[in-house]
Amino acid sequence: MQSDNTHKLLGIRHLTDSTYVLEIERRGMDFEAGQHILLGDASSLDKREYSIYSGTEDENLEVLIKEIEEGLVSKQLKRLEQGRPVEIEGPVGFFSIEKQDIEAKKKFLFIASGTGIAPFHSMVKSIPDLDYTLLHGVRHAHEAYEMEAYERDRYILCTTADDDGDFKGRVTDYIKQHEFDSDTVCFFCGNFNMIKDAMALMEKKGIPPAQLHAEVYF
Amino acid sequence: MQLKYHIVQLGCQMNISDGERVQKVLDELGFVYTENEAEAQLLGVIACSVRQKGIDKVYNKVAKWNKWKNRKSLITFVSGCVLPADRERFLKLFDMVFPMSELPEFPEMIRQYGIVTPAGIQSLDAGLKDIKLPQENTINPAEFKLVPTGVTGKFAQSSSVTESNKTIGEFWHIKPKYGSGFEAYIPIQNGCNKFCTFCAVPYTRGREVSRPSTEIINELKQLVSQGFKSITLLGQNVNSYGLDKKGEELSFAELLKEIGEFGKKSEQDFWVYFTSPHPRDMGDDVLEVIANYDCLAKQIHIPVQSGDDNVLVRMNRKHSVEKYRSIIRSIRRLLPEATIFTDIIVGFTGETEEEFENTRRVMEEFKYNMAYIAKYSPRPGAASSRWDDDIPKEIKSERYHALTGELMKHSLAYNKAMIGNTYKVLVRGEDRKEGFLSALTEGKIIVRFASKDKSLIGHFVEVKITSAVAFSAEGELVEVLSEINA
Repeated sequence: MQSDNTHKLLGIRHLTDSTYVLEIERRGMDFEAGQHILLGDASSLDKREYSIYSGTEDENLEVLIKEIEEGLVSKQLKRLEQGRPVEIEGPVGFFSIEKQDIEAKKKFLFIASGTGIAPFHSMVKSIPDLDYTLLHGVRHAHEAYEMEAYERDRYILCTTADDDGDFKGRVTDYIKQHEFDSDTVCFFCGNFNMIKDAMALMEKKGIPPAQLHAEVYF
Repeated sequence: MQLKYHIVQLGCQMNISDGERVQKVLDELGFVYTENEAEAQLLGVIACSVRQKGIDKVYNKVAKWNKWKNRKSLITFVSGCVLPADRERFLKLFDMVFPMSELPEFPEMIRQYGIVTPAGIQSLDAGLKDIKLPQENTINPAEFKLVPTGVTGKFAQSSSVTESNKTIGEFWHIKPKYGSGFEAYIPIQNGCNKFCTFCAVPYTRGREVSRPSTEIINELKQLVSQGFKSITLLGQNVNSYGLDKKGEELSFAELLKEIGEFGKKSEQDFWVYFTSPHPRDMGDDVLEVIANYDCLAKQIHIPVQSGDDNVLVRMNRKHSVEKYRSIIRSIRRLLPEATIFTDIIVGFTGETEEEFENTRRVMEEFKYNMAYIAKYSPRPGAASSRWDDDIPKEIKSERYHALTGELMKHSLAYNKAMIGNTYKVLVRGEDRKEGFLSALTEGKIIVRFASKDKSLIGHFVEVKITSAVAFSAEGELVEVLSEINA
């Protein structure tokens, strides 16, 4: 018998050698786009927090995971076979768009590094007619995970190690070279250094701190 | 023969409160508490995973107790804040391992459990009969027998990472054995959804669950009717109260209002505190309610943890210094007489000199009455335990002392300003200073005054402050405010 927090792994989609999407039985779990879950192999005691990648109306639950060289859970999950149970707790977290900001049709700037794109993927899939721009910082262009999910003119791929993206350089370089409306609501997700620098830049550009929201990936 | 129990209590107020419920269960089973662990037949630990040191203590204790099992019959148990990996190890070391939410099943576990040494079985079999009953929740100690059934702790079949919290409601139904006749804790919320990177609580206590407000208010009413004077509402994120019920329960502000209304109608004299709130969920609504009712104490403990935005992001605190500043401004505006306490961590992973300096400035700006300052140490299970603890011990100590100095400055200035004024205080016990009693103001400032009258303990009196030092003040007894039944 399944326990309350056990869900079946339905499939795995490998996006690069190290990055994959787990498709998991949803079992009626309700969540807000941007929230995260604690996830792990049901036979293991270890769990980690992962942002939900799928949309709120999707049948199944998805998470985007990068295998960490010295990591434990990301390796365990990658090895799991279809049909095996995973344990989920949550959803939890507050990295969500305020209803009134959606209703007010505000402009959103999503800034992600690597798999930090996951909550934005969920937001874009879940909230129709969102007026967003998504800056995605990666090393190589092939790390533009499932970019077809975004409207092409709203997705800006920033690459540091090749010239195949939309912009050569870090997301912070892109921010430095561009202007943004002061009422833009900004969401940052990814590694700490990117977030720290990008937030400071946006503040300098006149975006009030109350409009800056961050979710750090550890 | 009376079966005795001893509990090693580790950790925070929440653990103390949990321990009061454990004691109540054991008392009802007929066990008698002893301070002397060597004479107890039942030995337990309420564990704390906040620091490795606390968990090391548990391992040391159980190693000692297991040695004792070679010469006498003992039962051991562990509950409280335990990380999954430790829980697995504890299953091999303790006779019973259970999450606090399963405390209602503890009598049944004791009834069923086995695991005694052969020597113990022989000696006990020689003189004791089979255990009976706990249908009536009582055990005659003379009929207590240790049966080697081989049944192990509740987590033997459990693979759940964190406490499920599904049975926490039943746990709250257990009436605690209050450790004092005038001060009590009321748990109103358990668990945490915040995931601060330095903290293991989300992994030991599970997700936020609010206790029904009717139960909270009933417990509070009972305490007040019994003459309790200081009642603290407890929760890991006490002001997130009700959020998990999505509108089907009172908000924290509404809960305080209910309590305030009761206080007004009861015409009883008591103070209600709460700890610990999270800045993210702290709104003016809470402060406005506190301002409106005398029984809601004008003392706010609001953890800042760091005064630097970068560090706050690394700590995953979900608030900025500016957000925190706006809360302090609201406290000063709405509750001008309130004292403010905080928690701060120095030497968090990667904390630069500049980042620390921002924390020191925050200390200077907010002029806390008290700050619980901790030198950062990785807490097993917390996200930051996977990072380098890269600030040298000496630097952490320097920063700790710098902040303590800052704190002392403000605390002294505040306490000196009390001189000449008269304060209502709650007498808590004898002071270390011979011939003096120790008391707390509503704002939790320690006040001592000359008196040998122990009947004042647990009562409100008025004290005129005559002198002050950094963390306390001294005064003269002016008037006894509550009726003393000698």
